[in-house]
Amino acid sequence: MLSINKSRSLGATAALLLATTTAIALAQDKETVLKNRQTTMKEQGADLKNVKDYLDGKGDLAKAKEGAANLTQTTKKIPELFPPGTGGPNPTGDYVAKPVIWTDWDKFLDAQKTAAAKADALLVAVNGGDKTAIETAYSDLGKNGCGGCHTTFREKIEK
Amino acid sequence: MRPAWSYSRRIGRVIARSSVACVFDAVSVALPLTLAAPTAVGAPQGDVISRGAYLAAAAGCDQCHTDSKNNGQPYAGGRALATPFGTFYSPNVTPDPETGIGRWSEAQFLRALRDGVRPDGSNYFPVFPYPSFTEITDDDVRAIKAFLVAQPAVRRSNRAHDVAFPFSLRFLQTGWKLLFFSPGPFRPKPERGEAYNRGAYLVTALAHCGDCHTPRNWFGATEPSRFLAGTSHGPDGKAVPNITPDPDTGIGDWSEQDIVTLLKDGQTPDFDFVGGAMADVVKNTSRLDDADRHAIAVYLKALPPIRSEKKAR
Repeated sequence: MLSINKSRSLGATAALLLATTTAIALAQDKETVLKNRQTTMKEQGADLKNVKDYLDGKGDLAKAKEGAANLTQTTKKIPELFPPGTGGPNPTGDYVAKPVIWTDWDKFLDAQKTAAAKADALLVAVNGGDKTAIETAYSDLGKNGCGGCHTTFREKIEK
Repeated sequence: MRPAWSYSRRIGRVIARSSVACVFDAVSVALPLTLAAPTAVGAPQGDVISRGAYLAAAAGCDQCHTDSKNNGQPYAGGRALATPFGTFYSPNVTPDPETGIGRWSEAQFLRALRDGVRPDGSNYFPVFPYPSFTEITDDDVRAIKAFLVAQPAVRRSNRAHDVAFPFSLRFLQTGWKLLFFSPGPFRPKPERGEAYNRGAYLVTALAHCGDCHTPRNWFGATEPSRFLAGTSHGPDGKAVPNITPDPDTGIGDWSEQDIVTLLKDGQTPDFDFVGGAMADVVKNTSRLDDADRHAIAVYLKALPPIRSEKKAR
């Protein structure tokens, strides 16, 4: 009797231990995911700035091209920045990813593909060198690409 | 989120005060009629319908009157607006004669925006921003109506508001108006220059920025002393940033050009792009001309800075 009880409690302890370590691992994982996400979004901001600086006569075309090229890559990477279970509290940021991302993943992918297509269009415009075309593409990417996602899938949190 | 008890306490106070409102109503206070408004300040020229389209964009009519979330027809209403008092559903403002504003006279339309009075003589709830729209010039109101009635008519009956007693009583609004509504046209300050005044007219009257960016008191009226200082309990319970030029908690470190860029592209100075309700606002402000966006920036930068608890973003 005693030994059965003992083995049972040992089993329970092992299960608990496993659950705890898994939880910790997941929590750390989420932290990494959130950090990567923030870093990528900030990189995208910096890339946009390079294009904007060129438009405003404050930066050179080579940098604008580099920024636009980066944006075509990073906008395609967005889905992998949002693995399931990485919504909810975000201790290091001002925003959270809304649950609708995972309940309506296809809609999220549509928005991401829109952003990626607009980034491609921006690169074409920047390579073309016509400032009016660049400005139109830039504005479209920001408002409807980035802004399109931020409207539906991102939420500001109260601190 | 604000805890539930805070609402019930608020509701208690409102009930206590609403008996006062009843008394006001009983004496049937006549609201002063508004004076004739000055002519439009620098509004773009052209035919009246395209002028109205421009003004409707500046006023963001579609943001409440189009239920875009549920793929509603433009201006056909039905959008849910959650407030501490309950959920309001915007009315149909397409020219449908039965369910929209097709039978409204110009005088009725003017009275709605200027005095917050419905064609049947009862009051609007201040969820309809007539306390801001009262400042719109007669010419601009007429142009907005001309634009709206030129839109496709959509037959869609208005949905009753889901507002709890006693807030659901429209006649109590007479008391509310007496306490919080000062009708009258926009009064420019000639000494501040043209851009400032055009910006003031756009921000306070047409675009009614304060309806989201100014905190509200227990009666749902905006607090003039905290004009545009942001609130943590804005529309749909969302936080809305301080847009006064306070350097720490407002947008004091933004240049005029930064504000223009935000209104044009939705981009903040740190290359983020606004989402939420402001993204919808930007869809409209991006349709304004640069001079008007600049005027808004000039006016916002000239506001008295107000400190708020939270950092604006």
